[in-house]
Amino acid sequence: MYFRTAGHGKIHIILLLLLCLPIFISGCQRGVKQSSCVRCHKGIEHVSKTHGDCVSCHGGKPLEKVKEKAHQGVFGIANPEYIGRWENGCAPCHRYQFERMKSNLMYTAAGMIRNTQLTWEGEDGNSYTTHGEKQFDAAGKPFSPKPVAELDNLSGELYRKFCARCHVGAETTGVYAASHASGCAACHFPWNNEGVYAGNDKTMKGKAGHSASHAMTSLPDVNVCTRCHNRSGRIAFSYQGLYDGNNSLVPTRRGEGGPVMASGARNLTHITPDVHFAAGMECIDCHTSRDVMGDGFAYRNMYLQTEVACEDCHGGAREVPRYREISRENDEALRESRNYKRPASFGMKMIQTSKGRNYSNVFYQDNAVWVAGKKSGKLHRSKVITGTPEHNVAGHERLECYSCHSRAVPQCYGCHTTYDKSQDGYDFIKGADTPGAFSETEDYRMLHPFPLALNQRGRISPVTPGCQTFINVIEPDGTQSKTEYVAKFKGKQQLRFAPFYSHNTSKKAVGCAECHGNPAFLGFGQHVVAGNSITGTLICERSDSKPLDGFLTMKNGRVNAYSAITRENARTLNGAEVKRVLSVNLCLPCHEKARDPIYRKGINLRALDDTLHRRLLSGH
Amino acid sequence: MHWMILFIVGFCLAINLDAAAAHVGLACSSCHRQGGSASDPAARSSRAGGCVVCHQGHERIFDHAMGQRSGEKQFVQRSYGRFDSAFWDKNCNSCHLKGCLDCHGERGLAKPSVAVCQRCHNGYYTGWDYSGRAPREDNMRYQRGISVNGGTFLKMLPDVHYSAGMTCGACHSMKSLADGRKSSKGCRDCHKPDLKVLEHRIPAHLQRLECYACHSAWAPQEYGTFFLRFREQRLKDDFDLKPGPSPEYLRSAYLKKQDAPPLGINSRGKVSPIRPMFIAYYTDIMTAKNNGPENTLLAAEWRAYFPHTVQRGSVTCEGCHDNPTRFLFEPESQRIYNLEKDGMGLKSFWLQSGQRVSNGSFMDAARYLRMSSKTPAYTKAYVEKWKTFLNRVENSSRP
Repeated sequence: MYFRTAGHGKIHIILLLLLCLPIFISGCQRGVKQSSCVRCHKGIEHVSKTHGDCVSCHGGKPLEKVKEKAHQGVFGIANPEYIGRWENGCAPCHRYQFERMKSNLMYTAAGMIRNTQLTWEGEDGNSYTTHGEKQFDAAGKPFSPKPVAELDNLSGELYRKFCARCHVGAETTGVYAASHASGCAACHFPWNNEGVYAGNDKTMKGKAGHSASHAMTSLPDVNVCTRCHNRSGRIAFSYQGLYDGNNSLVPTRRGEGGPVMASGARNLTHITPDVHFAAGMECIDCHTSRDVMGDGFAYRNMYLQTEVACEDCHGGAREVPRYREISRENDEALRESRNYKRPASFGMKMIQTSKGRNYSNVFYQDNAVWVAGKKSGKLHRSKVITGTPEHNVAGHERLECYSCHSRAVPQCYGCHTTYDKSQDGYDFIKGADTPGAFSETEDYRMLHPFPLALNQRGRISPVTPGCQTFINVIEPDGTQSKTEYVAKFKGKQQLRFAPFYSHNTSKKAVGCAECHGNPAFLGFGQHVVAGNSITGTLICERSDSKPLDGFLTMKNGRVNAYSAITRENARTLNGAEVKRVLSVNLCLPCHEKARDPIYRKGINLRALDDTLHRRLLSGH
Repeated sequence: MHWMILFIVGFCLAINLDAAAAHVGLACSSCHRQGGSASDPAARSSRAGGCVVCHQGHERIFDHAMGQRSGEKQFVQRSYGRFDSAFWDKNCNSCHLKGCLDCHGERGLAKPSVAVCQRCHNGYYTGWDYSGRAPREDNMRYQRGISVNGGTFLKMLPDVHYSAGMTCGACHSMKSLADGRKSSKGCRDCHKPDLKVLEHRIPAHLQRLECYACHSAWAPQEYGTFFLRFREQRLKDDFDLKPGPSPEYLRSAYLKKQDAPPLGINSRGKVSPIRPMFIAYYTDIMTAKNNGPENTLLAAEWRAYFPHTVQRGSVTCEGCHDNPTRFLFEPESQRIYNLEKDGMGLKSFWLQSGQRVSNGSFMDAARYLRMSSKTPAYTKAYVEKWKTFLNRVENSSRP
């Protein structure tokens, strides 16, 4: 029966295709036969198969033939950062994503603003976001933050003049390798390093401030993320195996700074990339859309919005990864994965994030956890470590995976910030030059070793300066009112370190002796050990005894901590913990491997005094 | 010990005052004996004819390292000199002795202070480290803070001898310099290893190691020294680097460190700190812009040396015995910097392959394996060391 009707079916399909041909070939101006858009923008790339006519996204008057008239009503033509540009252009079809974005930290920048406040004047009892739009907190309660334009102090100034370019509501142009659009297009249109259109539309060719092509990229690649995530923690660089170290500008490339150049005239050298990047994974292969676009609720910091965790795919010491079968046709994973090379399907067992939601590209099959590259479709088998002896070391249950599995952790020591009121600086939020310009100098950058401390989860985690800000203020008359001032944090003048995952994951962990035998990992910085004292060798300019690259000293057996670890409940290791960590050195020369059974239930130092150990240690 | 240091310091101060006073009673002609081109009694050109009347033999200092700088000259000749025969004059010639007053002319005739020595012995050269100074990165972003001797510096832990007030001359007497020796005193001339210290009770340590292999707390290390040549000044605009002595050149470094230095074998056959001097690269910007060669690796040389960063303490045992990178045996699994991808001509700075020690050698692999094996004796000493340390660490900490 089927074969008999197949011939008629084919004819029907061909007829249907012929009828629809004008619609297909009209592409961008589909449905508007007389559109003048493509008359001028001839050759412009089709945005995507699913997007309609030009005006449905851009607005404007498609029947007008004169450019000026045709462009009347184009969304945001006078101001690309006008929210109506994407509210009218994207939101009518993508309301769900648009509403989530309004609470997303990459749009509100609430975390950056708050952290800046904590570093400088401290909190003032108000919440601030870039635009001050009404939001819902993590508990679903509505609240109305203030716009950062109203934060009338140094923190507000610093955010608006130094940091505000990197939020997705702002367009950035003219910045090499860091230019991007505003709104949805910030991530979903491909920009090249120069920020110049390079497609087939001759009217736009070579124009700055546009994506390289009009063909959208529904799934952003690592380069898109790098346009913003290349400063501060520099995670996009570290992930790819790039390091903006010391700005040495060498080795040169064709007589210019090199080997790779980044925004701000920084050069990048190559380091060993993250093991996931080396395997061909993009940022979005781990990070869910809720990580990067929000889930509709406003979080105070990115670590609260982010839902991915190493354990989701690799398992914890005692718990294997969790999965949930797709049993509903409206499962988020089905909708999200429609554009993936390897979409999820009904019945698949999807691995769950730390917040208990389904990944759309990670699944359980044939007794293994698989990660499918969203763009590539490549399957990566995730090694599950649950139950392995080296991951069941007593005491290590407090460690974040990346405490041992990080290789390079960028650490910027000494951030000397000058706020010069006699100069004008551009306020990216207010859109105008206002009195007060910021500039920065730095002391030293390093990658390894890196200090560890307790993070907000009570877990031991790498920490990095965040920030060691030394403030200089020049008044309008040129006098200096603050010189290398260390701001107050949690009530006292102190520098700060922040818990940090550098995204330079290494398959091979930091060695047991490397960590336990090197007090730099505990926060002592580069040092010498004399008697029962540990003294730093790289010293803070404002002190004669405190190391710049650490936060602990030990004098006559007593541990002193003098830098804060940001985030609630985070702290440095205390004396007892330092002693416990160093005590492992008593066992390590003989029990070298983490899988040694003595480490399963906690070490018993009294064992050193038993007959066996005394005999072994005496060499008989 | 404390009293001995105070005595040495007092003695140094006393003889310094004497130096100026000693000339007060002399007739002018005692020093100014000749006219014409030899009228400067302290000039190198006359071999300090006025000074050596009394300070006999001291003119021989001009024949040695500070006067001749033959080691450095030879290095330049076999490296940068291959591309620019005037490289030495353009970049290196500011530091050589022109006469006795270079060092002794500070506020009348005097024994040189540490600051006077550091007029030349600064930057990457031993001397600055004695006062706790390490060179900063070359990009102007890092060129901040106080400038001394024409350079900014990272604040480091000063040498214990400096902290005690000792000048360079306490160990580097004039006679030793005139004789062409590096110093008049070695560590053990003043210090007897205290056998209560566990590390000193290990015979191999005292026999095979320089004291300063353990007691040098840190050392400036420059990995990949680049000289960029600009035949047109406008081409320098994109290189925001610290200006150097020659307008034709800018200097930069791939990586700078200032932690405990790598170890090798010095000319005495002892384990000693070593550092790159230099892993040298050359780029002629104009040539490079025309698709010519750039980042040409001219030398990958290390030198055994004595960082003047002495502390009572040292690194922990595993800082040497479980640290192959420190002996340039970096395991691939620990590699961070990917030099090959950057076209640096070396696989790693911390691999011996393709590099050499110009005044010694790297430690050979077999010896390192022996050294790093956990023998019963090592284990016993290691456990004792940590036990002693931990018994004296308190459980509480001060926030």
